[in-house]
Amino acid sequence: MVISPVHYIAVPLLAAFTMPLIAKVSKELARVIPGLVMMYLSFVSVVLMQQVIQSGPISEVIAGWQAPWGINLMFTPFSGFLATLMSFMGLLIWLYSFNFKKVDFSQSLKYQTLQMMMVTGATGIVLTGDIFNLFVFLEITAITAYSLTAFYRERDGAEAAFKYLLIGSFASVFVLLAIMLLYTQLGTLNMAEIAQKIQAGELSGTMKTTIFALFLIGFGIEAEMFPLNAWAPDAYSQAPGPIGAAFASIVVKAGVYALIRITFTLFDIQGAHMYLIIAGLVTMVIAEVSAVAQTNLKRMLAYSSIGQMGFVLIAFGIGTKEAVFGAIFLMFNHAIIKGLLFMTGSYLTFNDTNKQISSLRGFGKKLPLVSLLFAIGAFAIVGLPPFSGFWSKLYVLTAAGSKEMIMLILIILGVSVVEIIYYFRVVGKLYFSKEENDIEVQKPSINAMIPMVILGLVIVAVGIYPDLVTGFFERATDMLLDKAHYIEVVLTQNVVN
Amino acid sequence: MHSFDQVFTQYQDIVTTGVYGSAIGLIIIGLYAVLLKKNLTKIVIGLSIIDAGIHLLFVAIGYIQGGTAPIFSPGHEGEIQKMVDPVPQALVLTAIVIGFAVTAVALSLVIRLYKHHNTSNIDQIKSLKW
Repeated sequence: MVISPVHYIAVPLLAAFTMPLIAKVSKELARVIPGLVMMYLSFVSVVLMQQVIQSGPISEVIAGWQAPWGINLMFTPFSGFLATLMSFMGLLIWLYSFNFKKVDFSQSLKYQTLQMMMVTGATGIVLTGDIFNLFVFLEITAITAYSLTAFYRERDGAEAAFKYLLIGSFASVFVLLAIMLLYTQLGTLNMAEIAQKIQAGELSGTMKTTIFALFLIGFGIEAEMFPLNAWAPDAYSQAPGPIGAAFASIVVKAGVYALIRITFTLFDIQGAHMYLIIAGLVTMVIAEVSAVAQTNLKRMLAYSSIGQMGFVLIAFGIGTKEAVFGAIFLMFNHAIIKGLLFMTGSYLTFNDTNKQISSLRGFGKKLPLVSLLFAIGAFAIVGLPPFSGFWSKLYVLTAAGSKEMIMLILIILGVSVVEIIYYFRVVGKLYFSKEENDIEVQKPSINAMIPMVILGLVIVAVGIYPDLVTGFFERATDMLLDKAHYIEVVLTQNVVN
Repeated sequence: MHSFDQVFTQYQDIVTTGVYGSAIGLIIIGLYAVLLKKNLTKIVIGLSIIDAGIHLLFVAIGYIQGGTAPIFSPGHEGEIQKMVDPVPQALVLTAIVIGFAVTAVALSLVIRLYKHHNTSNIDQIKSLKW
């Protein structure tokens, strides 16, 4: 069998439809399948990444229709890196939640299927080269995310999900309108051809701004951009723990990817970068300040996640090679660190329905390893050396420095102080709180412990030796900034099969 | 005395304007329902109406006056210019399916909310901050 990017979509879809049938034969087997799929996709990622690094980006044509007419999948160093990240995080999250709802089998089957489809949708957003296909994957991700948010009947999940759905529906309306306008103006849906035609000036100025604004609103909702992120804190806090991790490390990444693809490849609008910086700044400052006020651990993590996404937007907005490199590094870091924080955070607040930070007193002794991993995550996300978060922050700050954006640097540093305050408050509760409370702790099972330890080790390893991953980021940066190459790869290839 | 063709063209113009007008009208009606109605079910209906308006707009854009189906059939080879654009129709078909899925999820959430709070008035469901 030839390994190709289309497996990212075909294999999980096939598995999702066969899972209920397999469940009739063996219930245990049905729960294992998502893991096997994710393992296979991680393997595919490794093989394809090597191929891409050796012989350039892959543009996979689907059903034999050549690129501008048919749908194509793009496995470039940038999209491939994100697809790889998503597959591995999907695998870890599956392992973490393997025993989830073990006793209630039909629940567990629903959960596993939806979770796998959410990862598939997000991977599809990243890989597709067709703007309408991107919309379809956005909706797959969104619909699974709504259902997973409402998963717990006893929490206020349905309310959070309804709120998410309302905002998400508006997002899809905006994206659909934008696609429609784009199609009437240019007569194509292929992103490379759109980019080419816009570059050739086939789109009038007002039209370009209108379409860009519609896209920005549509994708900004999934990317948690202010003021479109009201859904995020509720969805994160009401969804099951592993889903919070998946939102932060997979779904949001897909939203940010869509925004970046629109800004960098499709449209070249003067001032769009400045807009990203401003939107990112507002998002970051408001989210980080709100995070301080939270007493609910998961809401705090959610606001911190929004803040980090604002930071990523700022970094992309600066737009120099160094800044984009930093932004990609930040996306990677946020995926692994926030994943770890949500995973450990759900065990720390396992038996507290309100997930209060104040109930964490003395957990450092009760759950030593989980607390240690949470502390590692907290130190890494605020950017302390020797953890991986330090490097990404450093790259973005030096990039801002070389463009002499002093105000920006000051604001980022100020926000970092705020971050330190609220994360250290939690870590302090874990370790330096004398009075212990009598909340029962939930010891993580071995399958939940493994992904947390892996993520912790990756954070430390990348922090001490960043060269492990920076080679990939450099290639991703080059590819993202090289629009002509992207267009060329898609439009000049011949159909192989 | 107008010839039949002239009358027909005028009639077509009215139809086209009517289609665009009703598409925009549907979107506005839907927005009204979503933003101002308090009943959860009505909000979901509003979302569906917005979707319908957008789909109508999309199909209308791909339409050509007096166009034919985009199929090559014997005796109609020379009519490529008159064929309607099939892409918007394919896209709308996909969008309808997506809209259906979203509506289904939304309605099941409404049922869940109603059971949980014993009301479908959005102002009375305030466990979380809106």
